[in-house]
Amino acid sequence: MAERAVRRKSRLDVFIARMTAQKHFLEDVAGKIAGIDGPVLELGLGNGRTFDHLREILPEREIFVFDRAVTAHPASIPDGDHMIIGDIRDTLAFCGPRVKRQAALIHCDLGTGDPTADLAKAHWLGPLIDERTAPGGYVATGIALDLNGFEALPRTGDAELGRYWLYRKAA
Amino acid sequence: MSRLDSFIRRMSAQRLLLNEAADLIGELDGPVVDLGIGNGRTFDHLAALFPDRAVFAFDNFIHSAIDVLPPPERMVMGDIRDTLPHALPRLGARAALVHNDLGSADAVGNAATAAWLAPAIEAVARPDAVIVTSFPLPFSSSVSLPLPAEVRPGRYHLIRLTI
Repeated sequence: MAERAVRRKSRLDVFIARMTAQKHFLEDVAGKIAGIDGPVLELGLGNGRTFDHLREILPEREIFVFDRAVTAHPASIPDGDHMIIGDIRDTLAFCGPRVKRQAALIHCDLGTGDPTADLAKAHWLGPLIDERTAPGGYVATGIALDLNGFEALPRTGDAELGRYWLYRKAA
Repeated sequence: MSRLDSFIRRMSAQRLLLNEAADLIGELDGPVVDLGIGNGRTFDHLAALFPDRAVFAFDNFIHSAIDVLPPPERMVMGDIRDTLPHALPRLGARAALVHNDLGSADAVGNAATAAWLAPAIEAVARPDAVIVTSFPLPFSSSVSLPLPAEVRPGRYHLIRLTI
């Protein structure tokens, strides 16, 4: 047991903390955007688990999902109008005609796990996210973003360990 | 419950059962086997839990983070259906603990995998090995062990072989 007590944090520990932080951030924000018009943007469909959670906690909200390809579980794939396929670096910049309004919430779980690749991604992603976020809207992200005019909100212990961030754009 | 909720509970159950298994195999010699390294999260947890045991990973390709890869002699590459039954010379001793998360979200796919996987595990595990698995496996002789209170029955499985 002594060995167990001093065991280092594993990737599994970090991952569970990350998913838990993501869930709590999204649920927290879902209760706060009632007064903000605009859709939700999910950057990266992946397995579709987070999309499934978003549509459960925000049943009345339009959700657009961006990814290069659809590799999700068949139970959680958006309809064709709300699945935007292509390199997000390109599609996010040109999604205006399709998405129309700025978003009340943007969720981004595009982290690569490599700190340099994440820095590069944050560099092009930050301005695009700024452009697509409504005043007073929220951004929950697995990559730290340097966003002018956004406030970084307090993080839970799970968010610290799991590397998750929450920002709010000035209203 | 969303698929995210269900996933968090499944990964938490996996971690609880692996931690429990670490106590259960305290007195049993033998390496640890992780079936499906995937992105390496569970392998890294096993490496953290068992600093004094050899932990082997099996998969047919590698896409895990480069800082959690096992040394090459402990990374068995190939279709697990082919490699596992022939892995005993590589393992050096019968495994004390086998973790299996080869499953898909499809119960039919899991049943098909289970049919070849159970005998393949028996070929390389101790007759009293502990098995942690994400779906039921039809071993020739085994008992289900009590689950920690936080794990709902059926979410993840803790088994001891009784061969």
